[in-house]
Amino acid sequence: MDPSAPDRWWEPFTQIDGTRIIHVDLAPHASREAAGFEQLDTAERSRSGRFQHAPARRRFVLCRAALRSLLCTHLNCDNARLSFGAADGGKPFALVDGRPVEVGFNVSHSGRHGLIALAPSGRVGVDVEERVPRRDLSRLIAATFGPDERADLAALTGGDRVHLFFRLWTLKEAVAKALGTGLSFDVSRFEIPAAIRSGATGDLFRVPQVRDVQWQLTDIGDEQFAAAVAQEAVGTSA
Amino acid sequence: MSSTEERIRALVDANLDIEGRTAGQPLTMDLSIVDAGVSSTDVVAFWKVVCEEFGVDISAEDFAELLTPGDLIAHLDAHAG
Ligand SMILES: CC(C)(COP(=O)(O)OP(=O)(O)OC[C@H]1O[C@@H](n2cnc3c(N)ncnc32)[C@H](O)[C@@H]1OP(=O)(O)O)[C@@H](O)C(=O)NCCC(=O)NCCS
Repeated sequence: MDPSAPDRWWEPFTQIDGTRIIHVDLAPHASREAAGFEQLDTAERSRSGRFQHAPARRRFVLCRAALRSLLCTHLNCDNARLSFGAADGGKPFALVDGRPVEVGFNVSHSGRHGLIALAPSGRVGVDVEERVPRRDLSRLIAATFGPDERADLAALTGGDRVHLFFRLWTLKEAVAKALGTGLSFDVSRFEIPAAIRSGATGDLFRVPQVRDVQWQLTDIGDEQFAAAVAQEAVGTSA
Repeated sequence: MSSTEERIRALVDANLDIEGRTAGQPLTMDLSIVDAGVSSTDVVAFWKVVCEEFGVDISAEDFAELLTPGDLIAHLDAHAG
């Protein structure tokens, strides 16, 4: 390894059509966190200061610095010219020299894993979850899933149930994050298509409440984490 | 009967993993649980626990506006029976 090469804590994970997914290593690493912090602007530094606890701060700093580097390369601009705004509902968007730019991106982090989705245009949402067993699984299932999804989950037990739970959860969350509605959209009001529920990696999908847009929905989980990406499908309006 | 604040504090201690927080410590009234590093799975579970414990039905839309203990307590004091 070239000792003069800059330390990078992110690397390509997969690509779906034109959308690149990048994995961010969020393991504790003081010098990376310091280097990442250096890349942040004033608003981001003050946000990172508001996290009371080290792991949450680390996830934000390492993901945001990786996102900055990726966007600067994609947009061909210096880090100092890049900033972020938040749409209604909280979804971040990018600005160069204070003006919004056409690029779709979304970030997710869970435990030691971050994922960044980068699409040249159109909306995109990504979600990653480490599959940590939960004692309140039944409550979460009742709160977030529709009848057919609940029936699929009820047919399973133990690790298989946990696995499907996180698979469906990340698929739904990817859609909600693509829409940008944040927690205000009750995701139990739509269901993941049957083809994906029964094992297909991806499918085209419309949220019944938001029919004018079609999403390419893809399961990108691996043995370490559950993950999914939803990207706006082009030329497919209803 | 304990105050809404005490009941919420007990629910936070039992249900939310706020890294660095010790049970029983006072809640930071204006700190969003999202900014405290709580994941969306935990936020959703907490939303349901609060509804059950207080016998109220808070919509996802409303709960998304009540992410600080201060706002949540004020809402419950105004709406719980
Ligand atoms: C609020 C929310 C974005 C946080 O989700 P999470 O799983 O805890 O966190 P993730 O790591 O996946 O995502 C956080 C990132 O998403 C981005 N984000 C923030 N608000 C967003 C929004 N409204 N839409 C899309 N992305 C958003 C940010 O980049 C954030 O990371 P950063 O603050 O470090 O930059 C998420 O809960 C959400 O929008 N959920 C969809 C709705 C839902 O789950 N409803 C359940 C029933 S109420």
